[in-house]
Amino acid sequence: MDNEDSITKLLRLKRYEQPPEEYFQNFLAEFQTRQRSEVIHRPLLQIAWDRFCSMFVMPPIPKLLMVSSFAAAIFAAVFVMNWADDDTPSNLTLASSGGVQVAAKARPARSKNGSAVQYVLPARPVSYASARSF
Amino acid sequence: MESLEPPDDELVRRTQAGDARAFDELVVRFSPRLYGLVYHMTSSHEDTNDLLQDIFSKAYRSIKGFQGKSSFYTWMHTIAVNMAINFLKKRNRRKTMSLDDVDNGILNDPDFIEATSNGDPSREVNLSELQKKLNESMLKLSHDHRAVVTMFDIQGMPHAEISKVLKISEGTVRSRLFYAHRQLQNYLQEFINK
Repeated sequence: MDNEDSITKLLRLKRYEQPPEEYFQNFLAEFQTRQRSEVIHRPLLQIAWDRFCSMFVMPPIPKLLMVSSFAAAIFAAVFVMNWADDDTPSNLTLASSGGVQVAAKARPARSKNGSAVQYVLPARPVSYASARSF
Repeated sequence: MESLEPPDDELVRRTQAGDARAFDELVVRFSPRLYGLVYHMTSSHEDTNDLLQDIFSKAYRSIKGFQGKSSFYTWMHTIAVNMAINFLKKRNRRKTMSLDDVDNGILNDPDFIEATSNGDPSREVNLSELQKKLNESMLKLSHDHRAVVTMFDIQGMPHAEISKVLKISEGTVRSRLFYAHRQLQNYLQEFINK
């Protein structure tokens, strides 16, 4: 037990190993400088990650609002796409051939001799006609 | 006379609310104590300085996650000890010592006088010799044992506080101290009274 006490007493002497007084005065300034430099030199990935994380630290009501409006936007987009599909004339026409439905692509209009129909504009466009020809 | 200094909890709350000056106050308050803790584990002033900067940076970055389940004092000490142990593992027992920064008050300390002379001329040693021997002995301890010795023997922390900082039982703290003291007795035999 005496040895135990002697060890404790010896180790307590290490308390005297201290830096000079001014060290702690300068320490805060050094720390602040370093913090500022850390802020300036933060990697882009870290900034992006912090911003991503901060999205989930929002209060509960706006978060709920955000999720529900996102869901509503998706629902609306799906609805509009379906509605548009129903309304748009399909490029596919179904032809019945021997009881089997065959999908065939609609082709451009053709004349009797097989050449493609060409539409020719009148020589004088309507817009060129005099507006006041009484 | 009542102290006008705000308690740690208030400074922590203000820091969490974004008041950087409150954290500066915590740095001023804790740096001497944490310096001692880290210095006695690393035995190097340069390493302690760098490590202390890292410790406060980490604390500042993580303070929003501090929920007050333990005291801020315990929380800071836990960060400091963990970072010091990780640093020592990387440094791999490189022996560096600062022998020129001892407070002159040690020369008047009765324990120092007793350890260095005690009327026996054969035991007379000077300050730097004792310090060197103490540091060498500390560096021979494992990181875990050194942490316990630093907190208990040098910093005077109670067993219960050390167990909270290291997240181990008080029994483990006592057992580590026992084995560390036994090792130190062998290394410091010449300074121990018989």
